[in-house]
Amino acid sequence: MTNLGLTHPLWLLAWPLTLVFLLHPGRKGVPYPAMEWLPMDALGRKIDRLRRWLAWAFLSCLILALAGPFLKEQKVARLGTGAHIVLTIDRSSSMNEDFSGYLSGNAKDSKSAAARKLLLRFVEQRRQDLFAMVAFSTAPVHILPLTQDRAAVRAAVEAIDRRGRGVTNIAPGLLMALEEFRDHPVTGARVILLVSDGGTHIDQDTQERIRQRFRDVGARLYWIYLRNPRSISVLHPPKRNLSETTTPEYFLHRYFQTLGVPYRVFEADDPESLAAAIATVDRLENRPLRYFETIPRRDLSAHLYGLGLILGLPLLLWNALEIRQWFEPKR
Amino acid sequence: MKRFGWRFWSCLVALVLLAATLFHPRIVLPRPAHRYLFVLDITQSMNARDYHVPGWPSDRLGLAKAALERAVLSLPCGSEAALAVFAHKNAYLLLAPLEVCEHGAALRSALRAIDWRSAWAGDSYIAYGLFDALKLAASLDAALVFLTDGHQVPATIKDPVFRGKPGRSRGFIVGVGGSAPVPIPRMDLEGRAIGFWRKTDLPRQVHSPRFRRQAERDRSGLLLSHRDENRLRRLADLTGLRYHPLNDPESLADRLRQAPTAKKRPVAVDLRPWLGFAALLLAFAALV
Repeated sequence: MTNLGLTHPLWLLAWPLTLVFLLHPGRKGVPYPAMEWLPMDALGRKIDRLRRWLAWAFLSCLILALAGPFLKEQKVARLGTGAHIVLTIDRSSSMNEDFSGYLSGNAKDSKSAAARKLLLRFVEQRRQDLFAMVAFSTAPVHILPLTQDRAAVRAAVEAIDRRGRGVTNIAPGLLMALEEFRDHPVTGARVILLVSDGGTHIDQDTQERIRQRFRDVGARLYWIYLRNPRSISVLHPPKRNLSETTTPEYFLHRYFQTLGVPYRVFEADDPESLAAAIATVDRLENRPLRYFETIPRRDLSAHLYGLGLILGLPLLLWNALEIRQWFEPKR
Repeated sequence: MKRFGWRFWSCLVALVLLAATLFHPRIVLPRPAHRYLFVLDITQSMNARDYHVPGWPSDRLGLAKAALERAVLSLPCGSEAALAVFAHKNAYLLLAPLEVCEHGAALRSALRAIDWRSAWAGDSYIAYGLFDALKLAASLDAALVFLTDGHQVPATIKDPVFRGKPGRSRGFIVGVGGSAPVPIPRMDLEGRAIGFWRKTDLPRQVHSPRFRRQAERDRSGLLLSHRDENRLRRLADLTGLRYHPLNDPESLADRLRQAPTAKKRPVAVDLRPWLGFAALLLAFAALV
């Protein structure tokens, strides 16, 4: 069998020693002057043979258990509710600010620290999802391809509240996030979860490319817009003074609405509403999903130790029944 | 006469030991384990191709990544690895420390995903980057492994002041690249080579007293890059890191495994093999 393995295969070298017990009587001989006249004891022979095989099996079991057999990790198909989620996270310098819009304002946390806290909770709750992570500032960084390894995703999310650098450059980040789906079969809802605190102008050419990619892979876009009170709301924009330079967020929002894929924006201007936004995403994505769960390798030595115990008990019984001398020595 | 002989008793003890293994006894012992922060230089001089090891990538970044993958995965279980990249003046943390045995697959895929195109600036100030990486490593309570070719653009007259304790930092500077100067490939954003960087591509005038003004005659020809041993050794001496030249990709794993920076960390040790071994010896004795 190919999916079995041994941790310490060198133990198997000790196995030939067990053959000794097939040949060896395994008990002390009792001297008796004349055996010849005793009749053939067929039952006794059978019992003796059984005992030898038992001893052999018992010792083989122990040696095999010491060699540490294991079942290699296997993929098991499961049906669950979950999604493929690419966390696309802004790590530009503006994420260092807190929700009051200043570097050390009244609010407790920086935006990135708030995002980290909530994303950690989100990742913890969505147990069946696959996560990937892309961070962007001036250039996009591919941090983690789609994985089920929860601890790895957590480690990636934990790294986001380090000091951010550079400007917000969303387009390359989105393209990299979309690229993530390219070689993956569609087995579930595809979500790009964009966490950003601002918008940028995306040129016409790139807009067209992003739109095309979104339709190709059929991903939906959720934008968690970390807004501070000084910037505008994209859901309730002011009537006047809208321009690409002063309120790029609004135009980014308008552009996202033309993507032709399901899109929602969540405005989070304080940590509580950010939590509400994540809760909504949480409710949205529960389509059935066929996915493979990798079961880590399973140790089989416990079974062998148990089997050894079962085989050993009759041997103990034999030992207990053993007659070591024919008669009591005189005192 | 005693009712039972020694065979019986040793057989009994062997079975009791076997029964004990069913409870999966463990003992938590401090075992040496490492915690490293790996910082990879992703500036463009790392694209230079000057490695000629059969079966390994020829560009510096590719080889450094492959060597790192091997080194990380061969660390003893219980060790942790964090990943970061370096460009401009900073180290950028990608992954917080992650245990290497259980999450080896994720670490491997994260390492493979590292790309020079993620650099947020084209400059590389090695000393600034190293000091920033040391701060990052200290905040993670990890030893630093800084992989760079030491090629600095633009050249500066003096290094920044090292604010840590001189000679007290733990970890390695790993010098990547060959000692002979080679041209640096210039690539577009799709990763296709479009020629080589030339000296005239550098900014013509730098308005800062810190930067070395290049002489006119130096401003022609290809921009060449080699492993800047002098700089790296000087920085290693200053900070207390050890210098390790990455001449062959397989030596890094041994060096990192044997580093004295390992701390004793509690690792649960399975007692079953010991019990099983004792049971086996007793069973041999009982049955012979």
